[in-house]
Amino acid sequence: MTLWRLEWVRLTRTGRILILLAVFFSMGIIGPLTVRYLPELLDSAGGGQEVIVQLPPVSPEFAMASFLSNAIQLGLLAIAFVGAAALAIDAKPEISVFFRSRATIRQILFPRFVMTAGAAVVAFTVGVITAVVVSGVLIDWPDAASTIVASSLVALYLVFAVAVIALFGSLVRRVPATALLTIGSLIVLSVVGVYEPIAAWMPSYLVGGFDGIIGGGDFVYWRSIAATVALIAGALWLTVVRLENREV
Amino acid sequence: MIQTSRLVKRYDDTVALNGIDLSIESGLVYGLIGPNGAGKTTLLGILAGLRSATSGSLHLMSDHFAVLPDSPAFDPWMTAYEVVDLARNLAPTDVSEDAVGPVLEQAGLAPAAHRKTSGFSRGMLQRLGIAATVVGEPELLLLDEPAAALDPAGRREVLDLVAAMRGRSTVLFSSHILDDVEEVCDEIGIMRRGELVYDGSLDGLIARQGPQTVYTVEVRAEAAGLAHALLTRPWVLMAKARGSKLTVETKSQDAAEQYLVAALAEYGAPVVAMAPHVRTLEEIFLEVTT
Repeated sequence: MTLWRLEWVRLTRTGRILILLAVFFSMGIIGPLTVRYLPELLDSAGGGQEVIVQLPPVSPEFAMASFLSNAIQLGLLAIAFVGAAALAIDAKPEISVFFRSRATIRQILFPRFVMTAGAAVVAFTVGVITAVVVSGVLIDWPDAASTIVASSLVALYLVFAVAVIALFGSLVRRVPATALLTIGSLIVLSVVGVYEPIAAWMPSYLVGGFDGIIGGGDFVYWRSIAATVALIAGALWLTVVRLENREV
Repeated sequence: MIQTSRLVKRYDDTVALNGIDLSIESGLVYGLIGPNGAGKTTLLGILAGLRSATSGSLHLMSDHFAVLPDSPAFDPWMTAYEVVDLARNLAPTDVSEDAVGPVLEQAGLAPAAHRKTSGFSRGMLQRLGIAATVVGEPELLLLDEPAAALDPAGRREVLDLVAAMRGRSTVLFSSHILDDVEEVCDEIGIMRRGELVYDGSLDGLIARQGPQTVYTVEVRAEAAGLAHALLTRPWVLMAKARGSKLTVETKSQDAAEQYLVAALAEYGAPVVAMAPHVRTLEEIFLEVTT
């Protein structure tokens, strides 16, 4: 048993990877399905009344956008709790003593970070593939290249979210507190990201890139990518420093 | 060896450790005793690098050590085998996976080796903690109350295990069970309110308590009258009877040796046995820590 295998076992034996896969997979079905049948649903709900609801045209781009808007909310919630369960290293001091007295913080932290981030990205990818297939079957196939690029940006954002979990895991000890602070801070960052002068530098800008790129927009995300990579590195560095100086 | 110099640990206004000077030679089994809140766990935590000292210095002979907390816990979805195998894998020395089975066997956990730890009792977790601690063959073992949660048989096994480590590893263990400390330790340290009030051998501690002035006498009759009579003697400080047993404290060891036997003969006491009262570690512990 190694620390890397331990993290794999943690994800599989506790069913946490299944939670992530289930969330993104179900969103991958629901997003395009809703877009495809939304006009019919609205018709049957309000048929015969003088209410006009204007919807974007049923398209694979709209289907993928619908998938992302649902998946990013529920998915981040799931990732926050699954990630906090692994990355709140000192949540249980007796367990923490076992690891900390045998390995360095870096040795403990990086397998947890990489495996959690990997699980989040894999689950999101499964969601994207599901959404593409459902969209292809029910509506039309989205452009493959732009879908891959757009999905990569969101995947990078999810890695950033996991780094934020690690950071809060070093600031507080409990799993729920770590998860809730992560969610809260990501919401705050998204709100701050609306402010135009800094929007293009914010990690949340990457999520917006999903719609933009699949919708045929220009690639204007280099600043956001650079800032996000820097923030991931900074968060991990700060996490290591915090944990190395925190008593069990 | 372990050496600390003027080790101080403060939590805000509370002084948990106050200038601890500790010196433990390699290969010894060292028992750390003291009442709750004396600072034992804090000291072990600092030695293990899990806590930092406010001031003072610390020198460990080796960074190859293993720590057993007083209530060991593990991720509940791991099996006992995986816990010990992970501990083996994280040990700085190269230990074969073949060592895992025998260590679990030694800890009495072979039948539960492939069970998840979520169903383990506290005693089983304690045994598993010990197995995970010894599997890497550490040079220094820091054990916090290792036998506290065990039944008598389990306690016996832990003591045997600790005794078996003598000479192979340096063992520092804290305990409230003074009999355990007395049985397996080469040296002891007594802590009180963050201070190390004694550091040395058990014999040295007993010798330090001064000359022998308390004797126990057993007679073949009720000892109450005898106690009453002895109290009239100027060299007797205390005489207490309990059934046929009499405890006498004299002003000096000389007085006891010169007058006590003569006085008993004078009263015609039917003496069955007489011996100096050997104080237990518990009595000495209470004297030193209160």
